[in-house]
Amino acid sequence: MSIITTNGVTKIYNSDQVPVHALNGVDVSFEEGEFSAIVGPSGSGKTTLLNVLGGLDEPTDGAVQISGTNLFDLSDSDRIQFRLNHIGFVFQAYNLIPVLTAVENIAFILQMQGKNKKECNERAMELLELVGMPDKRDKRPSELSGGQQQRVAVARALASKPDFVLADEPTANLDSASTANLLDIMLRLNEEEEMTFIFSTHDQRVVERARRVITLVDGKVDTDEKHNN
Amino acid sequence: MMNTWWPVIRLSWKNVWRNPLRSAVVILAVAIGTWAGISSSALMNGMTTQYTVNQLNTSTAHIKLSNPAYSEEYLPEYHIADADSITAEVRAMDFVKAVSARSVVQGLAQSPANSYGVTVKGVDPAIDSLVSDVHSHINEGTYFPEVRNAVLVGEKLADRLDLRLRSRLVITFQDTARNITGGAFRVAGIFNTPIASFNEQTVIARKSDLNRMLGAEGISHEISLKLNHYKEADARVDTLKKLYPQLNTESWGDLSPALRYTDSSVGLMLYTFMTIIAIALIFGIVNTMLMAVLERTQELGMLMAIGVNKTRTFVMVMLETLFLSLTGVPVGMIFSWISISWLQSTGLDLSAFSEGLQEYGLSTVIYPQLPEGYYLNIGLLMFTATLLASIYPTLKVLKLRPVQAIRKL
Repeated sequence: MSIITTNGVTKIYNSDQVPVHALNGVDVSFEEGEFSAIVGPSGSGKTTLLNVLGGLDEPTDGAVQISGTNLFDLSDSDRIQFRLNHIGFVFQAYNLIPVLTAVENIAFILQMQGKNKKECNERAMELLELVGMPDKRDKRPSELSGGQQQRVAVARALASKPDFVLADEPTANLDSASTANLLDIMLRLNEEEEMTFIFSTHDQRVVERARRVITLVDGKVDTDEKHNN
Repeated sequence: MMNTWWPVIRLSWKNVWRNPLRSAVVILAVAIGTWAGISSSALMNGMTTQYTVNQLNTSTAHIKLSNPAYSEEYLPEYHIADADSITAEVRAMDFVKAVSARSVVQGLAQSPANSYGVTVKGVDPAIDSLVSDVHSHINEGTYFPEVRNAVLVGEKLADRLDLRLRSRLVITFQDTARNITGGAFRVAGIFNTPIASFNEQTVIARKSDLNRMLGAEGISHEISLKLNHYKEADARVDTLKKLYPQLNTESWGDLSPALRYTDSSVGLMLYTFMTIIAIALIFGIVNTMLMAVLERTQELGMLMAIGVNKTRTFVMVMLETLFLSLTGVPVGMIFSWISISWLQSTGLDLSAFSEGLQEYGLSTVIYPQLPEGYYLNIGLLMFTATLLASIYPTLKVLKLRPVQAIRKL
């Protein structure tokens, strides 16, 4: 069952000056439980597509449907609320809140959803255990390695039990061991919790373990291949 | 609903301490600004109040009753008819603290060295000391020893006429029949009140001595009243005007409009002063918060990306500003209260500038004072200033688009 469907998504930057066609009519859909990588050379539109799928960037043309909701029919504030409840994000630079501890970073999302403190802490600890970091609960991001920060970021993305997780170059700043470890965790979450992961990447190690690889060239889907890993 | 605000409030507080040195500097600036503003205001208020009180205690009194003709032309014949019974009636009124009926003439004081135009006030020393505080400013001699024709002169007049204790002073003036008369007096005391003009132009004699020379025993030209508080004067004047329509009844504000203006404008002056300090602080806070926001563009964008809406992000930054000043303002207020309380007991000794201060009718020791309500108003003023200071940085946040921040990651 498709949870995300795009129809002719086009994104043109600087349309009033020198137009840059970041996306040129992208039609793609993602099924529940997928572990998909979006690849392509720099400037091919990977990050733009991810931003559009996450409702962060509005397409110049076309539509994005998530679980039956047309994302860009929603008002700005409704779209933010939609992201809070339906989409998890993992960023290349981790982007944890530096003044909060690991457990607080994860619980923050749940608190924003109005969940009570006990529920938030239990879920945050559960996720910290899932990413193998229960002993780091009270550490601030500055006290964690890059790999550990990214694992906390994955845990945070999963906190609200989203429909899917969008990850923009999640391993770009990680060493091999941390990359392998993070991929293991993401794959395990994908298999055990049927969490849908869609990530953009340049990293061949990630591509090798993805079950679907979509290649973008010049803002268009060039190839869309399923792998049996 | 409140549940979803707590994490924002907590995050704001933690953000304040993200850069402890910078926050401490802002809090310190707010505290020092508040302290300096309140303390200076208290000092200004103390000076103004002392100025008013000095004027009233030395010469003006709170209310004066006189013959309407005397107010137009200071001739001794225009005394108050039936002054003794009016004085007795007024003294019995519950809002009156003390009353002194004085005879007053304009004359020329002459010593072997010089001569000078003066106002001679004839007083009953025991009664007058309840209305006027000249007796507490005697630097040399005594306040009316039991000798005939004793007078008190101000230090400046004594200098001008080269008078010392027991010096002979001849004063000539008109009597009630408009004849030139006068008498020889002996300097019994030299006073130095905070009012320079009073010290230069006033001679105080016994009323009985002066009236004898005027040829009219028992007359009075003015009845000076001291009330429980000088601020009551205007209200009490109306009562007295109804009771004594034949007299000219004036409050201290009527007698000295400049003094009334100074007294009534002190509040406005204090708030103006405090507002200027608040404006200076606003710029400091705006600068700090702008830096705090701009260096966190990506983080704020990320918060919006993961689902923190603009209202909450806006409130978060606004609260950070409020926390900074709401920590600094009470600290400044507490230190102000401590320093004002301390100076209220010791006074601020400005005797090094005594001559200049006296020219302005000020005491050499200033006792700062501030109405308690002023602290609350200052708190509200600073709160408002902080809210204003937070507007610009928070508007910057509102303009943020999460995708722009994400692109920078």
